[in-house]
Amino acid sequence: MNETVKLKVDHLRAGYDGHVVLEDVSMHVAAGEIRIILGASGCGKSTLLKNIIGLERPMGGTIEMLGNVVDWSEGRPTNELMRRIGVLFQGGALLSSLTVGENVALPLRIHNPGLPMDIVEELVRLKLEQVKLGHAYGKRPNELSGGMRKRAGLARAIVTDPELLFCDEPSAGLDPVTSRGLDDLLLELRDSLGITMVVVTHELDSIRTICDRMTFLSGGKVIFDGELEEAEARGPQEVKDFLNRKPGEVKHTGRTVVFNLEDG
Amino acid sequence: MKVTEVELPEEITPDWVSREHSGLMEKSEGGTLRLDCHRLRKLDALSLAWLSHLQESLEKSGRRLVLAHLSPELKKDLAKVTLPEQEKPEEQESHGLLERVGDSAMKFFGEIRDTLVLLSESLYWSTFALFRPKTLLREDTRIQMVRLGSTALPIVLLLSTLIGFTLALQSGVQLQKFGATVFLASGMGISMVTEIGPVMTAVILAGRSGSSITAEISTMVVQEEVGALQSMAINPIHFLVLPRFWAMSLCMPLLTVCSAASGIIAGLVVGFLFFRLSPASYLHELKDAVTVNYLGQALIKSLTFSWIIALVAINKGLNVRGGADAVGKATTSCVVTCIFSIIMADAVFSFIFYY
Repeated sequence: MNETVKLKVDHLRAGYDGHVVLEDVSMHVAAGEIRIILGASGCGKSTLLKNIIGLERPMGGTIEMLGNVVDWSEGRPTNELMRRIGVLFQGGALLSSLTVGENVALPLRIHNPGLPMDIVEELVRLKLEQVKLGHAYGKRPNELSGGMRKRAGLARAIVTDPELLFCDEPSAGLDPVTSRGLDDLLLELRDSLGITMVVVTHELDSIRTICDRMTFLSGGKVIFDGELEEAEARGPQEVKDFLNRKPGEVKHTGRTVVFNLEDG
Repeated sequence: MKVTEVELPEEITPDWVSREHSGLMEKSEGGTLRLDCHRLRKLDALSLAWLSHLQESLEKSGRRLVLAHLSPELKKDLAKVTLPEQEKPEEQESHGLLERVGDSAMKFFGEIRDTLVLLSESLYWSTFALFRPKTLLREDTRIQMVRLGSTALPIVLLLSTLIGFTLALQSGVQLQKFGATVFLASGMGISMVTEIGPVMTAVILAGRSGSSITAEISTMVVQEEVGALQSMAINPIHFLVLPRFWAMSLCMPLLTVCSAASGIIAGLVVGFLFFRLSPASYLHELKDAVTVNYLGQALIKSLTFSWIIALVAINKGLNVRGGADAVGKATTSCVVTCIFSIIMADAVFSFIFYY
């Protein structure tokens, strides 16, 4: 594997409205790697992703993508950098007013207004075929199932051949077969196009299928960074419990009501 | 001490609790409430919650609850009851009148600032598009023109005609008293062109098209569609704002012309039918009264109102946070803010044009 680092997050501090969600988060993602960001619900996985892709402004720390430090001087990361990444949102985030084909064509149409429409269409059909949605070109997003919407979202995310692809819970809410299909697709894209991927998920089956390395978040901090086998063998107990589907200890608190009983 | 005896049924149902609870509390006033449980067969969640609540309420007011003849199985169930700790109600931060007024003022000025920023970005990208026509989303603008403008035409025509009828009839009666019905044309022309046409059209579009823009954009925000645009390096201002901004800017003056024309024609019909005013003299008088100056005022007003509607609606949509309820609130707020701003702007224009 090429060891060039495609994504470097150093000492990231992030949150919303003054409330800190992530504290001192660091991770380095190598080229061609599929990095899983893992953790229980509410641990800050999506916040980390939003900060990396520039949808939220970090409170501190630095993010370096594709050799460029993310610059917030103009209010958000530069378009040149954003054009080199792709993002698959949890629900696909397709624009409901456009057809699937128009959705996938959107980044090409906006960034390359001079590109002839028949070439754009050809490219879009190619990408849709790649995610096995060739038949859905003219359909509206509301005519697609959840899994198809995610695949269409994936086609849109890869239409510009990004070097770095971010996926927010790609298999959440999907049946095991569709979920496995999507995982295979991600592996295929990595192997054929060499795309580096950062995948936020807590689906264990997906993790076992696609993970090269994982970053485990707990309480807004990284508690493990390494390979899956290493996590299972020598990781912190919380990580092992998570990977073995062992629920944490639940403490019952409450008040006992004492009744006056009378017999006879 | 007074003891009130009550026999519980086989099963404590929601109906039974609703019917009997307040009666039991009253009956046990100042004494002991003894519930005979010999018929009771089971203690489900409702029964346990109700008995616990009753026990605690009676205890608080110095009374006593006694459960008699409870079967051994039910006693076991009862022993398991653990209720969640009662959360202390959060202390509401009390804000003084001055602080509340200050907060509202800050919010109001913040919204004005956001709208002005949006206006400057829209004008910047519009100018940019003039030099690089390929970046202009013509098809999207056309779709928005149909959606926001053309489809509003029937309601604008209908309401303006009805207002024209009313206005002509009421002013015609007053003018007739002085034998001045011939001035009906000038009155109708000036009021429809400078005031009623632009304001009426703007109010209709604020309610119809403004709310639709806010609902659409805020739903896109909630469904992460706007985030997806940003992640594709697509500027939402360019993609979402410009087509709507241009559509409103082009449609509003055209709709205002239609509105004013339908009101004036309604005046002509009223003048002819009720005040024996010939169409020729009405049109002659109209031509003399409605000068280019008035037409210019109408154009400036309608363009300003169109910008107010488009920018307020888009701003409300883009700043939505939360779920479906936030979309509803943003839509209502958009209509109220648009109508208020239109009327404010109209007052400012009257001041500028007439003083």
